[in-house]
Amino acid sequence: MGKSSTTKDAQALFQSLRSAYSATPTNLKIIDLYVMFAVFTALIQVVYMAVVGSFPFNSFLSGVLSCVGTAVLAICLRIQVNKENKEFKDLPPERAFADFVLCNLVLHLVIMNFLG
Amino acid sequence: MANLCITSLIFLSFLPIICLSFSPENPTDRRILVLLDDFALKSSHSIFFKALQNRGFELDFKLADDRQINLQRYGQYMYDGLVLFAPNTERFGGSLDLADVLDFVDSGHDLILSADVNASDLIRNIAAECGVDFDEDPSAMVIDHTNYAVSDTEGDHTLIASDDFVQSDVMLGSAKMEAPVLFKGIGHSLNSANNLAMKVLGASPSAYSANPKSKLSNPPSLTGSAISLVSVVQARNNARILIAGSLDMFSNRLFKSGVQKAGSSNKYEKSGNEQFVTELSKWVFHERGHLKAVNIRHHKVGETDEPAIYRINDDLEYSVEIFEWSGTNWEPYVSNDVQVQFYMMSPYVLKTLSTNQKGLYYTSFKVPDVYGVFQFKVEYHRLGYTSLSLAKQIPVRPFRHNEYERFITTAFPYYGASFSTMAGFFIFSFIYLYSK
Repeated sequence: MGKSSTTKDAQALFQSLRSAYSATPTNLKIIDLYVMFAVFTALIQVVYMAVVGSFPFNSFLSGVLSCVGTAVLAICLRIQVNKENKEFKDLPPERAFADFVLCNLVLHLVIMNFLG
Repeated sequence: MANLCITSLIFLSFLPIICLSFSPENPTDRRILVLLDDFALKSSHSIFFKALQNRGFELDFKLADDRQINLQRYGQYMYDGLVLFAPNTERFGGSLDLADVLDFVDSGHDLILSADVNASDLIRNIAAECGVDFDEDPSAMVIDHTNYAVSDTEGDHTLIASDDFVQSDVMLGSAKMEAPVLFKGIGHSLNSANNLAMKVLGASPSAYSANPKSKLSNPPSLTGSAISLVSVVQARNNARILIAGSLDMFSNRLFKSGVQKAGSSNKYEKSGNEQFVTELSKWVFHERGHLKAVNIRHHKVGETDEPAIYRINDDLEYSVEIFEWSGTNWEPYVSNDVQVQFYMMSPYVLKTLSTNQKGLYYTSFKVPDVYGVFQFKVEYHRLGYTSLSLAKQIPVRPFRHNEYERFITTAFPYYGASFSTMAGFFIFSFIYLYSK
C-alpha cells in the first residue's frame, strides 16, 4: 500500500513537473539543453581525469572550466531573458544576448591560453 | 758581488734536494731527519737505516740535543719525514719543540716515533697529541706470561712475541707475515676520542703492563687486547705517523734473532721484525697506499664536452681515473667499491662506479627530477689508503617552457572538450537566434 502510493506520488510529481516545463518558452528550453550539454562534458572530463591521473593539470582545468564557464554564462542568459523574471524586465533580450556573446569570447580566449 | 756568489752557491747546493722533495706528483718522502739519543743506535739499528737508504731515502742523523736541529729554513721544510728514536730526550736541541713537531705533521709530513721504557714526557706528549697514551708508570713494560718469546737468558717474560697484526695488505704488504714480531718495551692504549689512530700490532689477551721488577700490588691499568704495541695514525691531510713502544724492535739484534713462541713448537729462524718494520715504513713514507684522482669528467650521454649546467632528467656519464703510487710510478688502482654521489644536502644518486681495471672508473645515471646546485662527490676512505674527497659543483635547471611537449596525448580529451564547447557555443547561438 505504502510503496505503491510513493511510486504514484513520484509519478504524479514528474507528471506535473513535465506539464509545467512544457509551458516553458522554446528559447529557454534551448538554453537548458545547452547547459545540460556543458555539464555532461564536464562530468566526462572529471571521470577521465580520475582514470588517467591529473598530469596535464592545466589542460584538465581549462577543459572543465570551459564547460563550467559556459554553463554559468548560459544560466545567466536564461535568468535575464526569462519573461517571468521581473528583476530584468527593463533589460532587452538583445542586450542580454550581446553580453552573453562577449563573455563567451573572453572565456574562450582565456581557455585557449591556458589549455597548452 | 761576493754575496751574490754565496747565494747562488747555496741555491745550487740545495737544488738537487729541492728537485727530489715530496710533491703531489711524487709523494714518496725523500729527505728524512733521524733524531737519536746516542749515535750508538746508528750501528745497533743499522739494518733498518740501511734499508731506508737503499730505498732511496736521504737520512740525516742528528743527536736529539744537537743545537743545530732545524726542521725548516726560510719557511720551507728541509725534511719530508722525521724519525724520532730518542725516547729519553726531555728537550730537543735547537729551537725544535713539541709544537714544531706537530706543525711538521700538520703540514703533511710523516713521523716515526719510538718510545721505550722510561720514555720522557716530551715523547709521551707528542704521542698523546697523536691520540696514543703510553702507560703512565715510567718503568712499566708489557709482560705476557703465556705469549712470551722463549729465550735462554731472560726470565721476566718482557720479550713478547706478537702476531696480532692489522688485516691490511696495503699497510703490511701482500706477503703474509709468517713469524711473530718480537717486542720489548712499553705499551700504549688508543685514545677513544681519536678515530684516526689504529692498532697495527696488538698484544695478546693475557698481556698486561706493569713494572717487571716490583711486586704487582695494584691491578695493572692496561691489560689484554686494550694494549697496543705499535699504532699508526693517518691524519686528515694524509700525513702518516707510526708510534711504537719499543726501540728494540727496530734493532739489528731482534731483526736477526730467531723466535719461538712459548707453548708452540714452531721455531722460526728469523723473527718477523724486519719484514714488519720494513713494510710498515714503506707505508708510512708513502711508498704504498697513496691514491690520486685525475681526469674527473662528466658529460651528457652521446656528447664529449663538459656542460656548464644540466637539465633535470638528463642522462649523464661520469668518470674519474684513480692511480696508486707504487714508490716509483703511478699504477692503476683496481677496486670495485668506489662510489659517486650526486649530492645536494643529501645524496640524490649514489652509484658504484664500474672500472676497466686500468684505473678508469665510470658510470652513467639520470639527473634526478629536482633542480638546484648539485655536486659530484667521491668520498673514498679505505683502511690504509689516503683518503680521496672529490667534489665538483654543477647546477641543474628545470625544463625551459619551450622544452615541454607541445601536445600531450593524455590531454586530448581536454582539448576536445574545450573545442566542442566552443563549437557548441556557435551552434547554440545560431539556433537561439533563428528559433523565433
